[in-house]
Amino acid sequence: MDLALQLLFTGIGIGAVYALVALGFVLIFRATNVVNFAQGEFSMVAAYLMVVFAVDLGWPYWLSFLLALAGMALLGAIFNLGVYYPLRHRTFLPVIIATIGASILLANSVLAIYGPQPQVLEGWFETPGIQLGPVYLDSQYLLIIAVTIVLVIFNYWFFEHTMLGKKLQATSQDKEMASLLGISVSTMIMITFIYSAVLGGLAGILVAPVLFVSIQMGSTIALKAFAATIIGGFGDVAGAIIGGLALGIIETFGAAYISVPYKDGFAFLVLVLFLVFRPQGIFGERVAEKA
Amino acid sequence: MALLQINDLIVLYGEIEALRGVSLSVDEGQVVTLLGANGAGKSTTLRAISGLARPAAGEILFDGHSIAGLGPEAIVRLGISHVPEGRRIFPGLSVKENIMLGGSNRRASKAELSREADAMFDLFPDIRPFTNALGWTLSGGQLQMVAVARGLMAKPRLLLLDEPSLGLAPVIVQAVFRIISEIRRNTTVLLVEQNARMGLSVADHGYVLETGRIVLGGKPDELWGNEAIAAAYLGGHAKVSA
Amino acid sequence: MSAPSENMPMAVSAARAKPLLLRHLPYFIGAAVLVALAATIQFDGYILNILMEATTFAIAVFGLSVVLGLCGQINLAQAAFFGLGAYAVGIGTSDYHVSYWFCLVGGCIIALLAGALLGMSTLRLGGHYLAMVTISFQQIVTLVMINTIWLTHGPDGVSNIGRPALFQSAQSYLAFCVGMLALVGYVVWHLSDTRLGRAMRAVRDNELAAGVVGIDVFRTKVSAFALSAVLGGLAGGLFAGGFAYVSPDQFSFAESVVFLTMSLLGGVASPIGSAIGTGLLILIPEWLRFLKSVPGLYLAIYGLSVILIIRYMPDGIWGFFNLATGRWRAKAKLRGAGPALRLAPAAVAGDNVLEVKGLSKHFGGLKAVDEVDIAVRRGGVHALIGPNGSGKTTTLNVLSGLYKATAGKVVLDGTDVTEMPPHQRAAAGLGRTFQNIRLFRSMTALENVVIGAERPGNALVGHGEDALNERAMSALTFVGLGSRANELISSFSYGHQRLIEIARALAANPTLLLLDEPAAGLNSSEKLELHELLKRIAAQGLTILIIDHDMTLVSEAAQHITVLNFGRRIADGESMAVLRHPDVVSAYLGSD
Repeated sequence: MDLALQLLFTGIGIGAVYALVALGFVLIFRATNVVNFAQGEFSMVAAYLMVVFAVDLGWPYWLSFLLALAGMALLGAIFNLGVYYPLRHRTFLPVIIATIGASILLANSVLAIYGPQPQVLEGWFETPGIQLGPVYLDSQYLLIIAVTIVLVIFNYWFFEHTMLGKKLQATSQDKEMASLLGISVSTMIMITFIYSAVLGGLAGILVAPVLFVSIQMGSTIALKAFAATIIGGFGDVAGAIIGGLALGIIETFGAAYISVPYKDGFAFLVLVLFLVFRPQGIFGERVAEKA
Repeated sequence: MALLQINDLIVLYGEIEALRGVSLSVDEGQVVTLLGANGAGKSTTLRAISGLARPAAGEILFDGHSIAGLGPEAIVRLGISHVPEGRRIFPGLSVKENIMLGGSNRRASKAELSREADAMFDLFPDIRPFTNALGWTLSGGQLQMVAVARGLMAKPRLLLLDEPSLGLAPVIVQAVFRIISEIRRNTTVLLVEQNARMGLSVADHGYVLETGRIVLGGKPDELWGNEAIAAAYLGGHAKVSA
Repeated sequence: MSAPSENMPMAVSAARAKPLLLRHLPYFIGAAVLVALAATIQFDGYILNILMEATTFAIAVFGLSVVLGLCGQINLAQAAFFGLGAYAVGIGTSDYHVSYWFCLVGGCIIALLAGALLGMSTLRLGGHYLAMVTISFQQIVTLVMINTIWLTHGPDGVSNIGRPALFQSAQSYLAFCVGMLALVGYVVWHLSDTRLGRAMRAVRDNELAAGVVGIDVFRTKVSAFALSAVLGGLAGGLFAGGFAYVSPDQFSFAESVVFLTMSLLGGVASPIGSAIGTGLLILIPEWLRFLKSVPGLYLAIYGLSVILIIRYMPDGIWGFFNLATGRWRAKAKLRGAGPALRLAPAAVAGDNVLEVKGLSKHFGGLKAVDEVDIAVRRGGVHALIGPNGSGKTTTLNVLSGLYKATAGKVVLDGTDVTEMPPHQRAAAGLGRTFQNIRLFRSMTALENVVIGAERPGNALVGHGEDALNERAMSALTFVGLGSRANELISSFSYGHQRLIEIARALAANPTLLLLDEPAAGLNSSEKLELHELLKRIAAQGLTILIIDHDMTLVSEAAQHITVLNFGRRIADGESMAVLRHPDVVSAYLGSD
C-alpha cells in the first residue's frame, strides 16, 4: 500500500509533465489542424538552454529560467515562420513530414553543438524532499505538480476569461469567420506557437532534474504526450491534462509491477490500443458537428 | 454618391466565371436585396465585397474608396460587416462570447464589449435566455439572430446579410425579417436571399442575378410583378401569382 | 468544347502485339550489365560496403515509394520492417544455422504480415493518427529488439550472419543484391500501370472518388502497406547477409526518417526517384566525410533537407524532371478511337431502376432528409430539385453510400444496397459524378476512364489492358475528348473535366447514372452540349438521375421531376406539371 501511494505520487508528478506537453500539442492542433511532431524537442531544447545558462555560465537559476523561456518563445516564432506558415495551405502530409524534419533538425543540432553526453541539471530546491507519512515527496516532483496546477489554472483563465483567449478559440473553430470579424488569424497562430513552445519548454525545464538532460528526452516525452492526448480525446484541452496524468500513473505502476525496460513501451501500447479501439478518446468529440 | 458601388465585377472560382460583370449600387440608409437562384453568384458577390474572394476585374467602391482586393480584416475595420451564409456561430463559445467577438474590428475593453453585448439582447430578446449557452446547442433561428447581433457589434455602416432564411421554418423567417426591418433604421443593408418574396418585402430596391449577371433591377413591386423573375428561378415555365 | 468525333482517324496505336518482356528488354539488358559490373570490377572493401548499403537501402526506399508515393499513406516504420528482415536472416543463420534462403523468405513473410497488420489500422485511421500508429509500431519493434535479449542478443547485436553458398564472396553477393534491386525495381516500376497500382494512385488522389468508382479502398491500403513491408524485409535480409552484423540502433526511428528523406529527395512517387534519392544521400555524405565526424551534424542536415525539400521541391528531383517532360509524353502514342460506346445497363427488376422508400438522414437533431420516397423509372432522365438546403445533395450522398441512412431503403434494380459501402454499390451498377469534380489529378484522362471501366461486375469489358483501354477510348470519344486521351487532367478546362468524369462513369456500364450538378460552372453553349450528351446517353437506354439548379436544363432534359424542400418531398411527377405546381413555386420564390 505504501508502495502504491509512492508510485501514485511519482506517477502524478511525471504525468503532470506529459500533461503540459500534451496541452501544447492540443493548442497547436486546434489552431492549425496540425500535429506538431517537434513538440517534444521544445522541451529538450529548453532543458539544454537551462544547462547552458545555469550550469555552464553559472547564472542564477531564476534568471536562467526566464532566459530559457524567452528563448523558447523565440523558437516558437521561428518555427511558425519557417515550418508551419509557408505550408499552411498544403495538405496535412507535407506538414507532418516538415515537422518531423524540424524535430530531427532540432535534436541533432543540439547534439552537434553540445555532444552526446547526457547532462545533469540540479533541482530548484536545496532540500531533496520531505517525508509525509509513508510517502517520500521529492521536492522537484512537488514543484512540477505545483507549477502544473498553476499553469492549468492560468490556461483556463486565459482562454475562458480574456478576449485574446476567446479570439484564439474562435480562430481554432472557424478561421474564415474569425477573419470576417476582424481577428488577425496569422497573429493568433503566431501566439499559439509561441505559447505552445513556452509550455513545452517549461515542461522540459521542470522534468530535467528528474531525468538526465539528453537528446532523446524530447521524442520520448512527445510520444507519451501524444498518447495522452489520444487517451483524453484529441483536441480536448481537459482531456489532454487528464490523459497526461493517467498515462504517468499507468507507466509508473507498469514499470514497478510489470517491467522496467519496457516502461516506455506502455505509452505506445496504450496509444495503439486507443487508436484502434477508441480513437475519439475517453471524452470523445465534445463539440457537436452539423451537416 | 452611393455608399457601395460595384462596377463590372468579375470573380473567378478556379476557372469558372462566378460573376461575369456585375454592377449594382447601394445608397446609404437603404435595404437592397440581391435575388437569384442557387449558383447565380449571390454569395460570391458578398464574398467579393467583404474580402473573402478576390475580384479578377472590376471595381468595388465603398464611400468612394476602392476596396477591391483588400483582406477581410481590413474591410471590416472600414465599416462593412458580413454575416455569412450558414451563420457560422463559433460552436464552442457561448452566445454572449460570440456576440462580443463581433467587436473585434475595433479597440474595446472586455467590459465595454460586455456592455454592448447586453444592449444587443434588447434588440434580440428571444436569445437572451441563451446568453451563456454554447453555440452548438442552438437552433437555426436562434443561430441566425446571434449571427446578426454579432454582425451588428462591429458597428458597421453596411451590413451584408447572406441568406438569413436558409433552412429556417417560415415562422422563424418572419421573425428574422422583422429584425431586419428594425435594423434598417441605423444601418444600410445589402441582403442576399433565395426567398424572393421575403427578400423583397423589406427592400427599397432589388436586383436579380442569373448565372453571374444582373438581369433585372428595380423597385420591389416592379420586380415581383415581372414574369422574368420566375424565369430566373424556375426556367420560364412557372407563373408567379400576384 | 469539341464536337463528338466519332469519325476520328485511326491514328497510330503503338505497342500492341509485343509481349511485355520483349518490350522491356532494354531494361533487362541494362540490369544484366550492372550485375556483371558488380561481379567483376574489383572494388576496395570500403567502396563495396557503400555500394552494398546503397543497394539494400534502395530496395527499402522502393517500398516507401509504393506505400507513400503510389498510395499516399504515411509509413514511418520502414526501418522496423527492414529490421525484421535483417534479424530473421541474422538470428536464423547465426543462432539456428538455418539456410540463408529460408531465412530470407521467412523474414519477408514476417514483414508482410506485420505490414498487413499495420495497414489494417487504416480502417479507422488516417492522417496524423496513422502517422502516430506507424511511429509507435516502429518504437515498439525497436524496444523489442533491444530488450528481448534471449532472442535478439539485445544491444550486442547479432554477428556471424551467413550468406548463401552461391554468393559467398563479397563481390558475388553484391552482384546478387544488384540483381535483386533490378528485379524489384522492375516490379515497382510497372506496378503503377497494373490494376492494383491504378487503385493505389486513385486512393492517393481522391479517396472518396476511388470508393465510388468501385475500388475497395481498405484492401488497397492494406496491400500497399504489406508490399512496402515485404520490400523492407527483403532489403533488411540482404543487408544482414552483406554486413554480417546487425544491431538495434540500425533499425530505429531515425533510420525510418532517413528512408523517408531518401524517398522525398528523389521523388516519392517513382522508383527512379527512390534510386536517385538513395544514391545521393549515401554518396554525398561520403564525399563530405567530415559531416560524420561531428555526431548529429549529419542528421541535423537531414532534418533541414526534409524541410527544404517539402517547401521547395515537394515532388523531389525526379518529380521536377517529370513535370518538364510531361508535355512531351502526352503527345506520344495517340490511340485509336475504339468502337462506338456501347451501354447495356442491367435490367433485372421491373419498371423502376431505383426505388427509395422512407429515406431519412438525420445529423443530430437536424433532419436533413425526412422520409423521402423516390421511384426512378427505367429509361430517360429523372431530376431531383429543390431550393438551397432542401436536402438534395444529402440525398444523393446517401444514395451513393457516402452517408449512412438513418432510416429507409434504397433498392437498385432489385438489389437492396442500403447497407453497402460505396465500392459495392458501384459493383452493383451505380455510377456517379460529383459537383466539385473528383478526378484523379495525377493521371491522364485515359487512366481516369480506365479506372471507371475496371469496376467489378462490368460485363462489357474483357480482360487485359487492351480491352480496358479500348473501352476507355470509346467512352472518351463518346464525350468528344478521344483525341486528348493522354493529357493530364490539369490541362483540361472545367467543362471538359466534367465530361471526363461522365466518361469515367459511362465506361463502367452502370445501371443508373447519378449526375450531381453537371451544369454547374458551364456557360450556355456548354450547357447545350451537355443537354445533347444527356440525350445520347438516354438514347442508349441508360437511366439518369440528375440534380441541378439550372431549371431550363432540367425542364428540357428531364421527363420526371421530384422536388424536395426542408428535407421532405413536396412534389413528384411529370416535369411541366411539377414546375407549375404552386407548392413548388412558393418553395423557390417564397410564400406569405
